[in-house]
Amino acid sequence: MNANIPQSTKMSAKSPARPGVLSGIRVLDFTWKTVGPWAPRLLTHYGAEVIHVERAGGWDDHRYNAAPSIVSDEPRAAQLPGMKKVYADPQFNTVREESAAAGQGPGEKKLYAAPYFNTLHHGKLAISLNTKNPEGLKLVERLIGVCDALVENFSGEVLSSWGLTWERIHELNPRLVYMSLSGFGHTGEWKGYRSFGPTAQAQSGLSLASGLPGKPPAGWGFSYLDVMGGWMGGLALIQGLLKAKKTGKGFYIDYSVTEGAMTMVGTYMLDFQVNGRRTRRPDFPPGNRSIFPAVAPHNTYRTAGRDRNGQNWWVFIACETQPQFEALCEVMGQPGLALDPKFATNEARVANQDELDAIIGSWTRARRRYGIMQRCQAASIIAAVVQSAEDRVEYDPQLHHREMHPIINHPEIGDVPYEGYPVKMSRTPAFVHGRAPVLAEHNGYVYGELLGMSEAEIASYRERGVI
Amino acid sequence: MSGVYEGLTVVELADRRNQWAGKLLSDGGARVIQIEPIQGSPGRWCGPFVDDKVDPDRCLDYWWNNTGKQSVAMDIGRDPARDLLRKLLAGADVFLESTRPGTLAKLDLDYGAVGASKALIYASLTDFGQDGPWRDLQMNDAAHLALGGQMSSSGYSDPAATPIGGQGHQAWHMGCAFVLHGITVALFDRMTSGEGQYIDVSIHDACAIGTEAAVPQWMYYGSTMYRQTGMHANAKRQPPLQLPTADGKHMIAVMQNFGPRVWERLIKWMDEKGVTGELHDPKYNDEAFRMSEYRTGNVVRDAIARLIAASNGEECFHRAQSYGISWGLVHACEENYDIPHYQQRKYWRSIEHPEIGRAIPYPRGPVACDEIGIEPRRRAPHLGEHTRQILQGDLGMNEKEITALAASGAIR
Repeated sequence: MNANIPQSTKMSAKSPARPGVLSGIRVLDFTWKTVGPWAPRLLTHYGAEVIHVERAGGWDDHRYNAAPSIVSDEPRAAQLPGMKKVYADPQFNTVREESAAAGQGPGEKKLYAAPYFNTLHHGKLAISLNTKNPEGLKLVERLIGVCDALVENFSGEVLSSWGLTWERIHELNPRLVYMSLSGFGHTGEWKGYRSFGPTAQAQSGLSLASGLPGKPPAGWGFSYLDVMGGWMGGLALIQGLLKAKKTGKGFYIDYSVTEGAMTMVGTYMLDFQVNGRRTRRPDFPPGNRSIFPAVAPHNTYRTAGRDRNGQNWWVFIACETQPQFEALCEVMGQPGLALDPKFATNEARVANQDELDAIIGSWTRARRRYGIMQRCQAASIIAAVVQSAEDRVEYDPQLHHREMHPIINHPEIGDVPYEGYPVKMSRTPAFVHGRAPVLAEHNGYVYGELLGMSEAEIASYRERGVI
Repeated sequence: MSGVYEGLTVVELADRRNQWAGKLLSDGGARVIQIEPIQGSPGRWCGPFVDDKVDPDRCLDYWWNNTGKQSVAMDIGRDPARDLLRKLLAGADVFLESTRPGTLAKLDLDYGAVGASKALIYASLTDFGQDGPWRDLQMNDAAHLALGGQMSSSGYSDPAATPIGGQGHQAWHMGCAFVLHGITVALFDRMTSGEGQYIDVSIHDACAIGTEAAVPQWMYYGSTMYRQTGMHANAKRQPPLQLPTADGKHMIAVMQNFGPRVWERLIKWMDEKGVTGELHDPKYNDEAFRMSEYRTGNVVRDAIARLIAASNGEECFHRAQSYGISWGLVHACEENYDIPHYQQRKYWRSIEHPEIGRAIPYPRGPVACDEIGIEPRRRAPHLGEHTRQILQGDLGMNEKEITALAASGAIR
């Protein structure tokens, strides 16, 4: 472990939020897992104060994905008191019970800041709060009084079981915007249904829109709807704050991730309504080919080399215009191909796509993927390496130039690279300003400064297990 | 219904990259004037078309992505049209464009040239942003999914099989989400400052942060992900979670905790189907044991696979959900039209289409919220449908001037 890293972090009495266009906006963040945390996190880039509440005994499970890391040393026993390292795999989300059993209390012991937790919660404040305790719920009510927005992604019944119906929330703070973020929304006969990103991807039709014809769906190899779903949730939150700024009145936003997802496949829904064409059909999805418009070539092609896991390397190539195809034939050293009746027009190329793909594939097979991309792009042909995370982090000159992997210091694990934020604004720049908070780091600021409690009061709440 | 963008005027330079963002502004109540080339937006020519007949006014992808917009067709490469655009921008709140970096500077329409109206929010959504070594590369949506990392994680467990990028222009959607973040935050700021600003969003940057755990896994653990059929890529190969049902569909049996109540119901369901096998062994009553086995072994997973194989998809989805299990059924998007849940939530918006002589149901916006009010309000415009109206009404031109411009080919 890096000697410069402090062994303990004192509870901070200050807000870490940097000045920004959303300075003065305070968000009470009851989100967990993945899709929820993204939404309010996106406001931290503009200076909003996002207070992430971790429930005493139910700490956010993304904190627990502890495993040896290559940017710090392996977490030591001191960092992992009594922890079982069973959750090295980010998608196993059941650690809550075991961590509670491990008997950690807030402020006593430091928890290793797990990778994805850093991504999801950077720039936020962290407090602990026992919502199973009536006094804890009173504190939630007081926090609602001092915040501009409240976000949660629990199941539908959770907040109302705390007595926090929309009517009650609105009564506590008439200016507050409350957004619930759920798989299927908080009304309708499925309101009690539960969902992870892949559930919503499946139900919305997004999973079926990815794959090779005649094969099972390939779907999305990550929770697209936790990521994009979270971004759309973050957008709804900013939209809500904009509207509330105009009217001075709070309101309720019922965000269903599945409904949001259907707006990402709207074209296919209209195709069904108008032409009766279904996405459940033998030639759909078309792999990496393009149907609307039908253009060829438009596919991934195997290149020389394999990744660390033995998976082949690939490059994507597409010609959307005749000059692009003629240029590709030149680049491949086969100018005659552009004159062959089988490939001379786009229509012919689409009809003979299998044969064309085989020709291109045999050209790419022995060549290096970045070399292919460079030669094609130099001739104005669409070409892109299928880049892994390693490729993007280590070699992508564009992401490097745009500073998409900034380094931020974290008191437990030292300097840590993060994922950046892709909006560049001239007058009110967005920034990646903060690491993820350590457990209960901002109890002092939130309970002391914001709620005006004395140190003795805070200590008493802690002793009684309220915070 | 008054949308969050009510009262705003947006000028959008027609492009397939930005049109979904313009749609959500329009659906949110903004007046969106789309400036199209004389031959129409590229978005009008991609299909699918009504009855599969190529017609720029009957492209369904254009219909979906341009609800409620107004269309002005003009050739901004020519002086008179460029001046008209400049005048429209002088009265606009937001300018949304996706031209190749440098293009608008050559036309004297870059931010420096038209930002004189201090309140203008000028948003550029481009493939790579306004700077950097890859700025001028040729891209499309699938190329972004390749370069941005989505493909690398998606596809099939067979290591020889190609990575897959999903359909539906999802890279552009990711870019649009962030350009809307920027625009909305700029509007928030402008309420106080009175000033607009320039916003630069790169689709590649957006995609690059959109692969969930892949980047943190590499950065912190040095792990490379395996693609796995229908499920998350992972640093280790895992048994399948996308499982076939009795009626030829697929369940996504997401990993999750099976607490005592859920487990009891799951076992009862398995008993009913006769697939429980050795899960009757009392050792599986211990939650820690069964969860550990589920995570690392095959006994629980195999029983789940047998259960799903013995059940029909819809039965499987509803029973699992009623037991508190978050499994999902792989639906086709169009199958959602028949689901009462979405009807109960009033998710569909009926939009009149004189082109086909009837109204068709469109999905609402992402959120159910009257105050934000994002929902399709009117059909997409026909090519140049509002050219005359806007030249007369907004720019005060007379019939004669407009006719002369049209005759010169500068407008349509």
